[in-house]
Amino acid sequence: MTPNAPPPGDPPRPSPISRNVEKFIFPRWANYILPLLVLGAIGGGMYAPAAVYLGLNPDNLNLNYRPQQPIPYSHATHVGQLGMDCTFCHTTVNHAAFAAIPPSQTCVACHGNEPGASFAIKPNSAKLAPLYESIATGDPIEWIKVHDIADYAYFNHAAHTTKGVGCVTCHGRVDQMGEEGVYQVQNLSMSWCIECHRQPEKYLRPADEVTNMTWSPFDEPEVQQAVAAGEIAEGDEQAAQLYIGEKIKAHMQINNKYYMQACSTCHR
Amino acid sequence: MSTRPPQSSISSQSGSAYWRSLNEYAGSPEARAALTREFPSYDPDELLAMGRRKFMQLAGASMALAGLTLTGCRRWPKEQVLPYNARPDGTMPGVPETFASMVQRGGYARGTFVTSFDGRPIKVDGNPLDPTVGDPETARILAETAKSGDVHAQNKLNAFVGVADARAQAMTLEMYDPDRSRSVMTIPAVTRDPEGDLTKVQPEFSSWDDFVAAGVFQANVAVLAEPMSGLAAATAKVLFGEKFGHDHWHTWSPLNRDCEIEGSKLAFGRALRAQYDVSKAKVIAAFDCDFLHEHPSAIANARGWAKNRKSADNADPTMNRMYAAGVAFTPTLASADEHVQVRPSKIAVMLDHLANKLGVPGVSSASDLNGQTLFIEKLAKDLKSAKGESIVVAGASQPAEVHALVWAINDYLGNLGSTIITTEDPAGGALQTESIAALAEKLHAGEVDTLLVLGGNPVYDAPAALNFADAIRKAKTVVRLGLYFDETSAAADWHLPEAHPLESWGDGQAWNGTLLLQQPLIEPMFGGKSAIEVVALATGDAKTTGFDLVRRSWSSIVGTIATGQLVATSRADGETGIFDGPLTGLEAEKTWRKFVHDGMHAGSHLPKVSAKPAPAKPASGSIHAADAESFEAVFVPGPAYDGRHANNGWLQELPQPFTKVCWDTPAHLAVADCKTMGLQNGDHVAVTVAAGGDAADVRVELPVYVNPGQAPGTVVLPLGGGRPVTGNVGTGVGHDVYPLRLHGEASAIVKIDKVRGYTELATTTDHHLIDPERLDTGGTGAVENWALQKRAGKFGKEGYIIKEATLAEYIQNRNFANDDAHLDVRLQLFQTPSVTNPGDPDFVQPNPDGPDAFNVPHAWGMAVDLASCIGCNACVVACTAENNIPVVGKDQVLKSREMHWLRVDHYLKGDPEATSSDELYAVQMPVSCVHCENAPCEQVCPVAATVHDTEGLNTMVYNRCIGTRYCANNCPYKVRRFNYFDYHSKLDSDFFRSKNVGVEVQNKPWLAFPDMQQGDVIDQVRRMMFNPDVTVRMRGVMEKCTYCTQRITRTKIVAKADWARRKTLAEQAGKPMAEHPTDEDRLLQDGEIRTACQTACPTDCISFGNLNDPAARVSIEQQRNPRSYRLLEELNHRARTEYLAKLTNPVKPRKAKKDGAYGDDEPKHKADDHGDEHHHDEHAEPAAHG
Repeated sequence: MTPNAPPPGDPPRPSPISRNVEKFIFPRWANYILPLLVLGAIGGGMYAPAAVYLGLNPDNLNLNYRPQQPIPYSHATHVGQLGMDCTFCHTTVNHAAFAAIPPSQTCVACHGNEPGASFAIKPNSAKLAPLYESIATGDPIEWIKVHDIADYAYFNHAAHTTKGVGCVTCHGRVDQMGEEGVYQVQNLSMSWCIECHRQPEKYLRPADEVTNMTWSPFDEPEVQQAVAAGEIAEGDEQAAQLYIGEKIKAHMQINNKYYMQACSTCHR
Repeated sequence: MSTRPPQSSISSQSGSAYWRSLNEYAGSPEARAALTREFPSYDPDELLAMGRRKFMQLAGASMALAGLTLTGCRRWPKEQVLPYNARPDGTMPGVPETFASMVQRGGYARGTFVTSFDGRPIKVDGNPLDPTVGDPETARILAETAKSGDVHAQNKLNAFVGVADARAQAMTLEMYDPDRSRSVMTIPAVTRDPEGDLTKVQPEFSSWDDFVAAGVFQANVAVLAEPMSGLAAATAKVLFGEKFGHDHWHTWSPLNRDCEIEGSKLAFGRALRAQYDVSKAKVIAAFDCDFLHEHPSAIANARGWAKNRKSADNADPTMNRMYAAGVAFTPTLASADEHVQVRPSKIAVMLDHLANKLGVPGVSSASDLNGQTLFIEKLAKDLKSAKGESIVVAGASQPAEVHALVWAINDYLGNLGSTIITTEDPAGGALQTESIAALAEKLHAGEVDTLLVLGGNPVYDAPAALNFADAIRKAKTVVRLGLYFDETSAAADWHLPEAHPLESWGDGQAWNGTLLLQQPLIEPMFGGKSAIEVVALATGDAKTTGFDLVRRSWSSIVGTIATGQLVATSRADGETGIFDGPLTGLEAEKTWRKFVHDGMHAGSHLPKVSAKPAPAKPASGSIHAADAESFEAVFVPGPAYDGRHANNGWLQELPQPFTKVCWDTPAHLAVADCKTMGLQNGDHVAVTVAAGGDAADVRVELPVYVNPGQAPGTVVLPLGGGRPVTGNVGTGVGHDVYPLRLHGEASAIVKIDKVRGYTELATTTDHHLIDPERLDTGGTGAVENWALQKRAGKFGKEGYIIKEATLAEYIQNRNFANDDAHLDVRLQLFQTPSVTNPGDPDFVQPNPDGPDAFNVPHAWGMAVDLASCIGCNACVVACTAENNIPVVGKDQVLKSREMHWLRVDHYLKGDPEATSSDELYAVQMPVSCVHCENAPCEQVCPVAATVHDTEGLNTMVYNRCIGTRYCANNCPYKVRRFNYFDYHSKLDSDFFRSKNVGVEVQNKPWLAFPDMQQGDVIDQVRRMMFNPDVTVRMRGVMEKCTYCTQRITRTKIVAKADWARRKTLAEQAGKPMAEHPTDEDRLLQDGEIRTACQTACPTDCISFGNLNDPAARVSIEQQRNPRSYRLLEELNHRARTEYLAKLTNPVKPRKAKKDGAYGDDEPKHKADDHGDEHHHDEHAEPAAHG
């Protein structure tokens, strides 16, 4: 017996030649690779743009953002029901870049909890606990920023509110936002900013109507006269807005659209 | 070595008469590479040589990173809004506020205005009310007009600040330095290295309570303090003296003015101070004195000097003439009209001769003047004709005899009482070298139990012969108060954290005696105490606050003013800390509040003294000059001053004047000496000084910088390098030369030998070269060649980067700066965007509503007057602070990657070995983005990340930039800077964290997880320093000067919002139209915006404003000053920054200039053979320049 001979009773080993050939033969399941690849390419080709478009769309990223605030402050109560003006608390809005959330001291002017406080509205409410803690410790209340634009864009409230951009135009009907907190009604994307910078007349209102939540161009006597004279069709809000907007734009010396769209207007 | 090739190679290769470095002078290949390439060290072959596998790896990795980054597409992190608990009256969140304070160096205070953003001080300027750094007259007028409530007047007042020098500007970086000491430390004796290696000690954390409980101040207490001026410091000194003995208070600072004090003692028998009124001087002679730059009253001196220079544009110019003799180029020497560079020992000889020539009795001039005869003759003649209207001044490093002689000369010339006022020196005649020597003696004698070291760093910088590190160990307890844990802290037993000047109350006295108040802008961030608080603590009063200490000391002054009689300072109850001063009435409180508001006691000054100096004596007798084999060494302030700013990246990275060296303190040697010894930049030398007696010679090895224009036989040694123990940024940067200062002297005689060793010096002389000839245009076409010829003329003539003339030439030809320009704006390929001067024949009224109208509603422009720029670098640091410009580190500077938006170029002309202004002189030129209307950068940007706005700013949009760097490549002014890395996080990265030693470049954030923005890496403390009005740029983004667009926008919004509010109010009130604000009222007026560089300039050489306003200073300078020219004008970029040509006032035109652009032997157009294709306007009537 030669040492290489297979032991008796074992099945015959495949010859080396057939083993080598088998290596080069794709298994049957490999037939599905190509169609799968094609399907994957088609699917991916549709998926990727959709994912990028939807994933990057500021509407999806920012709209309706409503973080939970430390105090369930209700603008609906204060502005909607009590009719407080925006500038009662946001005092710096016409003077500075920031509209400035009021200091705790402003809140306790009405919600005083100390003995002898001239106004003590609901001093025992659990919802106000963070306020009284802030007053006691001197630490600020940690509000969550809702309207948060990119750090390389420099928005200035005073530049807008003094010339007739209404609060409601960007912040929506704050007077209807309740204890759940303020939420974002505009996507605050650059294209949204630019839309107004190109045609401010579409959004301007008289400077003394800036904080009015329900202003309509038809409230303006000038517009009413124009409607009466037949220059603007009854109920054509767009035409009425343009009519008054153009006037305010000229009146407030709003710069031309090239200026308004220049990069240095918002970026520094 | 190729510092000086044969002449032929210069004319055939470089063709440049002005040069910035020896390489360029020699026309070396490196310099040519620097001219034609933005980053000469960058090798494209390196990239091309990359293998396929490597490429696939990198490409794959970047795809993966891109995928990871996409996961970041979500709403960014939650941000909080933290309102005030109780908002202080008059405070508006996000609106910067300015407070008056001061900064003190060497006992000389300077008033500052510090801008604070929501409680964070972020910018330091000068106090305009302080006469030594500001203009009180104008400030008061502005304040008076601002009382009307007019927003424009208010803006003007806000913009009008005084001047702060580079070091004062860099204070904010120092305050927000995370390396500052944060806790009281004890240094256990067991960890002390027996060999004296200070880096080996292991301090332990402790607390103020433990320190007070330790009760180290019992008896035999001595203090070693930095010089401190002011009432609070004086009170502290008195209190300490009452308890521990008045003669136990010692003072030391390495850069002192001892020689000056000794000199005045020689002349007057007591210490007097000279107050210069430079604006009155027609002739100024500075002997080894950088009095426009390194002097306690340098800012006032520079302003006075420049005021007089600017008169050159008047019909009847009264421009001064400055003479300077010094060792090497300094800002003062280079600004001088006649200057010579000599060995420092030669100054005394020159002054002897000068006194003799002038006829000062008692001075004979025996020694040989040796080549400086002409200089002295010219000077003597000028001085004689300007009696009572001249200033002679000698530097602090000159010996007392020289100062005494200078007093006598000034007296003889009648300058005392007219241009030089003598006042008392509040510090008295005490010499600091003697004071510290006396302390060392006491220590050795064992007379001191407790030594309190207040600030300073004596273990590092005390005279070497005192061996101070050993001496202070003789005291039983050493207590050290310092901003950083440094060498002295390591040698002490207790280290106390010092409160930064921006964090603590204090006071001081300016050079002219103005009493200044130091008001804190922020609570001490790391719980530090100020020097006066620690002295109070030492005298048993641990409770009184710094405020009370200062308020109490000032009660004497407040009392004086309120009641008309002097009230002695009394002490408050130490336990309660309640002020019980003599006057607490309403009047006193009002006066005090005014002082705090102004930051000073306005109008206070040192009493005048009318003294007559002793008869003159020759000064040269006592001088020891070096022999032929030796060198005369002078010690000068280095980038870190005396070493205190070593951890300040802004100052370390600031290119030093003329050498432009960053991150090092090499020995500067003359070109001739380097040739003899075979030395090149960075080669090491050993500097040896004989210790005298049996002591071994002291030897220091350090690299050399080959310094053109330095006097042979001299070596300039900058102090403050090679700190072994400091923060992470400054440890080991530079080389320590203090061991060579055996007795604290300002100059020494040393031997210099070449030794093995080489340190690559990061010098920016060859960086960002403007190429006047376009050496490598590579035949790109007729237009460019045409422009080239116009600009450069034939080879061998300089281009027109620098335009200059002497005063005589200027009077003869007022239009010299423009009559050689061959620009013909009619040869345009396209419509010029706008010409700002309506008087220009080519002026086209642009459509105000069109996109190319770069003047709606304002048109911003800048003018830089080269005639008054002294190259002090203050503008560079101001720009860095204002615009959040990062520090990049030495390794990146070596690659031309420094980020400074504004740089100060210097151009030398003449022979590098020459030592007189006749044969070699320098012109300095600040260059930043010139805001071309027809900008070459904009045309090549593929993503429109750099575009114009309607007011003519060439804006840079960081969020749009994708980093192709095409714009930088196409910018002939080389003013664009690219963020290769997240440089801001670098200071907090491993590169600096590992103390700079033996570490390859590590910019860790670059390879970190992509979602980790640099904002997360930058230290929490350091990020408080950023100007919130300016975007912090990330890696991969191009940046450049924006004309401080944040200031422009802010001011515009403030003015127009106010206008709109008033308009609305007027309508609501139904006022007649006449009372409504006019439409023009919304536009800004001249002076409402001042750029950061402009406010920092001591000579006011930068003007900025609205070119639409013909009355604006910038319009007047650009449009009506005939010296105004545009850099590289022939390229038709229509730069908005214009330069006013350099003017000098030498006695005779300089030889080095004989083949200059102006005053050619032959008219230029004859040499050029460009035919008649353009209009010859050389001889035309000078037209208004636009």
